[in-house]
Amino acid sequence: MLYVLILIVGAVAQYFLPWWSMPLVCFGLSAWLANGGKTAFWAAAAGIATLWLAYAMYLHTVTDGVMTQKIAQVFVEKYPYPALMFVLTAVVGGLVAGCAGMAGFFVRQAFAKPEVA
Amino acid sequence: MKYTRAASSLLLVVGLTYLLNRPLGVVPALGPFLSPFEGFWQNGEAAAKNPFRQLTLDGLKAQVNIELDDNMVPHIFAQNNHDLYLAQGYMTAYHRLWQMEFYARAAGGRLSEVLGARTVEYDRYNRRMGMVYGAEKSLAAMMADPVLKEILEAYAEGVNAFIDQNHARDLPVEYKLLGYKPEHWTPLHSMLMFKNMTAMLAGGSDDWAMTQIKQKYGQEVVNDLFPNYPTRESPIIPAGTKWDFTPLKPITLASAVAPKVAGRFELDEKPEGIGSNNWAVSGSKSSSGYPILANDPHLQLTLPSIWYQIQLHGPDVNACGVSLPGVPGVTIGFNQDVAWGVTNVDADVMDFYQIKFKDPSMAEYQHGGQWKKTTSRVETIKIKGKADLIDTVFYTHHGPVVYNEGQKPFKKQVPNGYAMRWIGHDAYRDLYTFHLLNRAKNHADYRKALSFYGAPAQNFIYADRHRDIAISANGRYPLKAKEQGKFVMDGTDPANDWNGWVPAEHNPHVKNPPRGFVSSANQSSTDPTYPYYINWRFAPAERGIRINQRLANMQGATLDSLRILQNDNYNVAAEYILPTLLRSVNIKDLRGDQLLAYNAVETWNYDNGINAVGASIFENWLDLLGAAVWEDEFARDGDKNSLRYPTRDRLYTMMLKQPTAKWFDNVATKDKIETMSDDVTLSFKNTIDSLTKWQGPFDAKTWAWNKTKSTDIKHLAQLPAFSRMNIVNGGGRGCINATTQQNGPSWRMVVALGENVKAYGLYPGGQSGNPSSKYYDNMINKWAKGELNELIYMKTKDDKSAKIIGSWKLVNK
Repeated sequence: MLYVLILIVGAVAQYFLPWWSMPLVCFGLSAWLANGGKTAFWAAAAGIATLWLAYAMYLHTVTDGVMTQKIAQVFVEKYPYPALMFVLTAVVGGLVAGCAGMAGFFVRQAFAKPEVA
Repeated sequence: MKYTRAASSLLLVVGLTYLLNRPLGVVPALGPFLSPFEGFWQNGEAAAKNPFRQLTLDGLKAQVNIELDDNMVPHIFAQNNHDLYLAQGYMTAYHRLWQMEFYARAAGGRLSEVLGARTVEYDRYNRRMGMVYGAEKSLAAMMADPVLKEILEAYAEGVNAFIDQNHARDLPVEYKLLGYKPEHWTPLHSMLMFKNMTAMLAGGSDDWAMTQIKQKYGQEVVNDLFPNYPTRESPIIPAGTKWDFTPLKPITLASAVAPKVAGRFELDEKPEGIGSNNWAVSGSKSSSGYPILANDPHLQLTLPSIWYQIQLHGPDVNACGVSLPGVPGVTIGFNQDVAWGVTNVDADVMDFYQIKFKDPSMAEYQHGGQWKKTTSRVETIKIKGKADLIDTVFYTHHGPVVYNEGQKPFKKQVPNGYAMRWIGHDAYRDLYTFHLLNRAKNHADYRKALSFYGAPAQNFIYADRHRDIAISANGRYPLKAKEQGKFVMDGTDPANDWNGWVPAEHNPHVKNPPRGFVSSANQSSTDPTYPYYINWRFAPAERGIRINQRLANMQGATLDSLRILQNDNYNVAAEYILPTLLRSVNIKDLRGDQLLAYNAVETWNYDNGINAVGASIFENWLDLLGAAVWEDEFARDGDKNSLRYPTRDRLYTMMLKQPTAKWFDNVATKDKIETMSDDVTLSFKNTIDSLTKWQGPFDAKTWAWNKTKSTDIKHLAQLPAFSRMNIVNGGGRGCINATTQQNGPSWRMVVALGENVKAYGLYPGGQSGNPSSKYYDNMINKWAKGELNELIYMKTKDDKSAKIIGSWKLVNK
């Protein structure tokens, strides 16, 4: 549920707002819905990694992947593999999202009434 | 515990987001860069992007139609000039925004603002040499002309409309990689593009090298080794052409050389072999009976390309050809009546004056027996991530003191404490020249257009459907005494100043010469009878000689025969000097591969084709021979001073006529007197050694010319991923097809005039500046093979003959 919401709300937010709206969404949704630090991390990380990967893959495919390959070459001149860019994208997006999700849960926990915790 | 955990996890995510939101060294800000919603993923270009669009643009007076042909060339149809140039600005930004803004930033000394401290000295040089000062002066002159004001402002409006319409995710990928955003375009940016060209084509100097040589060896050696006219020449205005004007009274110089030189003088020496060509044959030599014009301006090759193809159709104009991104109008091209093209004139329009300051404050300097006041201009260089650099530049009436005493110069050949007098500091309505050429109908229009032109001086070639052909080495030339500015000058004596100008109508020009063609290849503008001093040296005569020989023998010329001539790889220098070189080699000294190589170059047919091993050997040999003969006395990169070698023309003359000249001796070897044969043999062996080291043992495949030359077209930001390397093609510095490692024909065009003008052309790049677009470099392969595209020239927007793949409508709200 959290995973799906992060995916959908994250997509809408990032379409209109800068990329840092993404950790805000993960933070907010996890604070609201997550029921554990680990779950919060993984649900958010997986949600955003899926979203970023899927959208990147779509853009890559409709444009024949030319830019992906060239940017991979900018990053690592000798091994210009597009896979590098997909991995980097998923890892960076997922890491930020996961941390934001975890922070969301912990912050809620810190301020929540004892019986909820 | 729970508070600590909350605080630390919050800190972690805020810190991570913050870090990923900013660039780290050369690594772009990874957060936004990798996000598929705004990062580089957005920059991939789908095959058929926006074939039919309707766009709303503020500021348009009426509807504009833009037809995009199958080479992504916009054909703009506007109902008034304002809208025409607005649409040109819009389309140029659509395809080339990053490039045009980058050029303007570089020329204006503002790269550090976005790139950080690594470009500070480059920026500082451009500021101190007066690029912005000159651009501001030109701007004032152009904006005072209502026609140009309207054009420049409309163009800027169009660029800005594109910038404002676009979301951050739509920005060119270079902005995302380098981490900055475009700023609004102004007419000053367009002026900086002009100054950029002027600096590139008329911004080199060897005044300091020549001064050092004169001080070291005396005037006689200068006269002997650095004469004011080459031995072999085939001048642009045919020798013997009578001048149709009464020259102004010659002027004389006060004192030839400034006294002593304080600092080190460093500025780029003009490299030989960035050769541009143009020619036009008259109807008497063409199969159609109408003139045909060809032009291939050469520059350092870059991606995105320096040229942008366009057709501009308005109420008083229908011009087609190439434009410079950032500059309104068509720069090289044709209309239904005329065609024109340019090559550079090597005019000496940058001089240096030693300034005598009253005191270290540099507030006053001596001139004509009085103390005159300097003015100062404060240049504030913003540096990303650092405090601003505030730099004060002192200006004399000559121009800016580029480097004060004690400052470390960035460029070779700028002496400390000297003022620079440069044509780039003068204001002309150069844009008006192109405005009129775009609309020219006949030779009189062409002559009138040229009279407004300032710099960089160009050989403007011309042909029209009334069967006139013409050429003019055109620009503003300071009225100089012979050799004025060949050396640095004493700035205290007014007699050394630039005193007036060669009248525009006295610029070298010729119309319909009896030989039936006009041509230029950067060589001497005229024979020695021309009454004004333009420069002591021009580009080598070789390409000009070849073009003129070929055209003199040509009958029934067609578009294709002129295209083939543009791709001519014949090496005139080899034909002239190689037999002498081969005779001078001491064959008994050669072993193994040296003998094989000798045989290869001996049997070579002087054609710099892709497989020619002889070309690989000869071209490298020539460089090493020059070094063997001159480096001991005229070292180009000496510890203290950079001198320059005599020209190749002078070397050939010495080899042919003075084979025992003392210059062949290497003064560094104390116990031996080298002869010409020693130098030739040694440089030959060194050539074979270096080719072996570089390409392996002698082998016709690995030593082939295309392997040892290897043309690279690099991206402006030097990113290999966005560059095209190791392009297979022939040519060379002394060939008409003067393609070298990094320089070459930046545009090739052939135009057949007639009742219906027909034109072909292409440039080594593509219309789009987007590295993922198929139009980024789609013309390179054809270019390397020497083929051309038909240039689609539409009479109306509904012209059915054109291959149109997209139609845009621009409307006002």
